[in-house]
Amino acid sequence: MANYTESENKLVIKIVYYGPAMSGKTTNLIQLHTLLRPQRKGELMVLETRDDRTLFFDMLPIGLRSATGLDLRLKLYTVPGQVQHDSTRKALLSRADGVIFVADSQLGQQDNNAIAFDNLASHLTKEGVDIEKFPMTIQYNKRDHEGVIDEALLHARWSETPWAPLILASALHGRGIVESFRQLLERLYTAVDEEYSLAVTHAIDSREFVHQLSADSGIPDE
Amino acid sequence: MSNLEDDPSLDDLLAPSHRARLVQLLSTLSGADVELVEDPDESVSPLEFNLDTLGWLKTTLPKERHRAAIQLFELFLLYAGKYRLAANLHLDVTEASYVELQQRNAALQASEARYKKLSEQLQQQVEEQVKVIEKAQQQLYESARLRAVGQLAAGVAHEVNTPLGYIGSNLAVAGDYLDEIEAKLSLDDDLAIVFEDFRALLGESRSGAQRIAGIVLDLRTFSNIDQAEFTSCDLNALLTTACHLLQAEHHQTLSIKSHLSELPELEGHPAKLSQAFYNVLDNAAKAIDGEGVINVESRFRDGVWEINIEDNGCGMPEEVMARVFEPFFTTRSVGAGTGLGLSVARDILTAHRGSVLLRSHPGQGTCVTLCFRLD
Repeated sequence: MANYTESENKLVIKIVYYGPAMSGKTTNLIQLHTLLRPQRKGELMVLETRDDRTLFFDMLPIGLRSATGLDLRLKLYTVPGQVQHDSTRKALLSRADGVIFVADSQLGQQDNNAIAFDNLASHLTKEGVDIEKFPMTIQYNKRDHEGVIDEALLHARWSETPWAPLILASALHGRGIVESFRQLLERLYTAVDEEYSLAVTHAIDSREFVHQLSADSGIPDE
Repeated sequence: MSNLEDDPSLDDLLAPSHRARLVQLLSTLSGADVELVEDPDESVSPLEFNLDTLGWLKTTLPKERHRAAIQLFELFLLYAGKYRLAANLHLDVTEASYVELQQRNAALQASEARYKKLSEQLQQQVEEQVKVIEKAQQQLYESARLRAVGQLAAGVAHEVNTPLGYIGSNLAVAGDYLDEIEAKLSLDDDLAIVFEDFRALLGESRSGAQRIAGIVLDLRTFSNIDQAEFTSCDLNALLTTACHLLQAEHHQTLSIKSHLSELPELEGHPAKLSQAFYNVLDNAAKAIDGEGVINVESRFRDGVWEINIEDNGCGMPEEVMARVFEPFFTTRSVGAGTGLGLSVARDILTAHRGSVLLRSHPGQGTCVTLCFRLD
């Protein structure tokens, strides 16, 4: 959960990009790094890859300083999607404040999406988190591919869940990336505000929160 | 737990010696003064790592080259940071895996203990089942033996009875003939002695034949060929028969004293009851080893038939008494006893809703009481 250090007036929030292997989690982060012009943005750390696949994790720090001097940081992590890195995923998911679940739209990947989502749900449950109330955004990536799952079907399938509407994305082309991030920020704000009274104590309202952390550089590259 | 989310200090990322070397190298390369400072003033720029300011760099360089020095320093920090984060993650994962391993180990041990207990219970159940099977086997064996003995006895009785009949009647007729011959002959002294001896011989033979007839009758009673089902039994008669058989077995050398009171008849299986009495009597005979006395008593009191068979033989210690009803338990040498006598007796009594009571002291003798209750 978010970690507030009173001596430094610093609040650190952890967001995790979760999902099956090769669904585009790292691409999401790279695009965010390119597209976003938040108040503060650190270096994107890509820790280690092999054959283009994440072995440890990637991390992008962004932040804002409120008028009251609150040093608010978001740390965006990706997890390794491959099944064998489950312990690493579990460690990274520990104490997360929000999750963006990056699913793969290709028809052949729907089982892997389900397996990854079950894996996420199981880790969250073990952490004592109620997944129904947990700030989460569902992103279906790779919409630019041939043979992807039907859009109407997807919306229908997720419409009854607490995470609807889901976001369709094409991370390689930068589409849906910032939208996913903003949707999560809105959901995250409610939870963080409840615990740390951002509006009352730190004069940060929802609009300010989302705007300062996700201001973008304009139209994404095509 | 997580070390992962700690924001590292400059010390964490670059050890002071390395830091000093980096600053020294930057200074040598640029040909200007380069210095790390703790407190910022207008001539310095912050060194950032993950949005955290870790220190300030002070140089005498022109603006652009000053910026390059800062960026180079930050690049070092980035790579040191990557290594540190990976190492922290590795540590976190290793710790978590170890904890999980320990939990699994504990769970495995618990499960092993469960299986061990289960296996012990199974073993116990198997042992109990084996006991049940052994008992059933022994009963089968006993009933088969009783049937075989019965058939044998019936055969013997039949085969012996016929010749015995004419031996008996022939001996009687022979005695009559002897009288007739004696009346027609005038005997001298020598012949008179021969005649007298002859008569005595015939008399002994007749009493011998009568004894054989008695034994055959006893055998018939004991085997009870004709009465396979429950029937009214005279326990005194059965006891007497069993005593006769035992005497026959011991060549009439035993000292058996009977005090039999009048008993009502008991519904039972006479052959089996005889077997029970015989088994107990046989034990008593073995206990006295030809020297002591066996007392046999019967009485009926308050709806209970009570048969006491008491000897003043060797007796037995408590640890033996505790086991005498176990099938195949015997204190006698191999071949001398089957170890079934008392267990069969008790099973027979149980089948008649009766019970067996034992009292014994080493060196003083043993008293076995067989009780039957009126329903």
